[in-house]
Amino acid sequence: MQTLFIILALISVLSALGVVLFAHPLYSAFCLILNMFTIAGYFAMLEAHFLAAAQIIVYAGAIMVLVVFVIMLLSLGAEERWAPNILITVFAAIGAAAFIRISLPIMSGLQDTLGKTSSSSIGANVVVGDVTSLGRQLFTEQLFAFELASVLITAAIVGAVMLAKRHHSALSSSQSLKHNVSMGNE
Amino acid sequence: MFTFVVLIIQILAVFLLAAHLAAFCVWVERKGSALIQDRIGANRAGAFIYTENILPDAVVVWLRKAGLFKLVEILMFPVLAFVRINGVLGVINTLVCDAVKAILKEDFVPSGTSQFVHSLAPFMAVLPVFLAFAVIPFSPDFVIFGETIRTQVAPLNVGVLFILGMASIAVYGVTIAGWCGNNKFALLGSLRTCAQMISYELALGITLVSMILTFGTVDLYQMVVQQSSGLWGVLLQPISFVIFFASGMAETKRAPFDLPEAESELVAGYFTEYSGMKFLLFWLGEFAEIALLALLISVIFLGGWHMPGLDLVLGAIRSWSADGVLSWALAPGSWVYALIGFSILMAKTLFLCVLQIVIRWTLPRFRFDQLMTLGWKMLLPISMVNLLITAFIKLI
Repeated sequence: MQTLFIILALISVLSALGVVLFAHPLYSAFCLILNMFTIAGYFAMLEAHFLAAAQIIVYAGAIMVLVVFVIMLLSLGAEERWAPNILITVFAAIGAAAFIRISLPIMSGLQDTLGKTSSSSIGANVVVGDVTSLGRQLFTEQLFAFELASVLITAAIVGAVMLAKRHHSALSSSQSLKHNVSMGNE
Repeated sequence: MFTFVVLIIQILAVFLLAAHLAAFCVWVERKGSALIQDRIGANRAGAFIYTENILPDAVVVWLRKAGLFKLVEILMFPVLAFVRINGVLGVINTLVCDAVKAILKEDFVPSGTSQFVHSLAPFMAVLPVFLAFAVIPFSPDFVIFGETIRTQVAPLNVGVLFILGMASIAVYGVTIAGWCGNNKFALLGSLRTCAQMISYELALGITLVSMILTFGTVDLYQMVVQQSSGLWGVLLQPISFVIFFASGMAETKRAPFDLPEAESELVAGYFTEYSGMKFLLFWLGEFAEIALLALLISVIFLGGWHMPGLDLVLGAIRSWSADGVLSWALAPGSWVYALIGFSILMAKTLFLCVLQIVIRWTLPRFRFDQLMTLGWKMLLPISMVNLLITAFIKLI
């Protein structure tokens, strides 16, 4: 399991780097898809099969298909690279330093808890990923947050449709409407 | 160790089964389409093979001189008769000659695209389809060497969702194929595919959710077990069955939903720039999808390996044979019983494969706006209302 995790982690870090470093947007999108698969792999390793499947269906399957669709529709070429501005470099360095400063304690803390948890307590968590227990959790204890999230998504769909209608009222609106509805439903 | 060996055997068996079902569909497509169109169809290759055709002339002459030719002919008769029958039926033409032709053809990669992505696309189109076979249960559990074996490669507790995930991944191969063809027809084809598959996936997913609600489980094996009473999914959810079949056929991208590869408009659609074995891989993926859809429908809606009255007949035979071999063989848990269940499932699957091919050769192609109207304004709302009603009935 440890070896599997290391391999998976290596792939996910490399693919995350690829998303940023590839010049062509389609290759970046491929790397993102691969990255999402590795995240699904982590869920599967934690016995959260439902989350793994949802990760693949929603992110790798639906959202990334739309990203690829848009990249192809606009037939984007490779991006042009230019020498970075000194100001951007400074800000990026500050941002990176801040991120590392914030995430280091979390990571070391995580390592401590991982070291403390015995294998038996990990085994006890196995039921958590089950569809039944997840559904029960979502629809009882987390019901309010769950409903709030669905209201938020509905608002986003309505907003997207409105935006598309306003900009393309002259164009055949069926195409853009269809596109937005499909985006919203993912 | 034993479980590992069983797993390897299962993976191989399911892979071979998927490939053979796809091959069967190819043959039915070629020969069946000929029947539908009142043609004869492929019937030449291999139909005229005789002993003197396959042996070198010198050997034939020598055998004739020695008077052994008649003997050789008689010895080879069973094999050659088998080959000739397959030749007349078109099996050799469609499954052997076409495959060899595809392997020997030039592998053409258009300029201006990445060769890597061009080669990757066919695999991305085929792989998810074959992976989806992993969660399908093929027969009832049986005991061998004291171990209970479930004929399901991956008994995940998310069975149906895994298939949905694989269906949504399958879009990539086709999409990328169209993009890296560096050809406007191919790109149009792949854009159509993208829109079509995303649209129909929703109806497919919501129908599956209503089936999950009906059976109260996401495990395909448990779904089949629940249909043992003879109350099949198609009787419980007739509307879901129709929607699932229609949107499943749209996912396989075949007529009347074959807009992505509409040959009268887009040359060959997304695989316009593919040749040889890569082209054949797309084809194989398409036919494997047909087989997968047929299997899924038989498992979810048509009772899997159950047949009304079969248990009665088997029970009668068992009580007649009393303590004989038959009473062991036909009891649930023996491998013979599992084999009978498997054959019933395969009979349903093959019937549905043939049905899909008949539909493909009977109905004309949709127009694109009709396709979108059917998906978004008919199948999706109906499946949502159906889901609501199902949930309501479950509640009371």
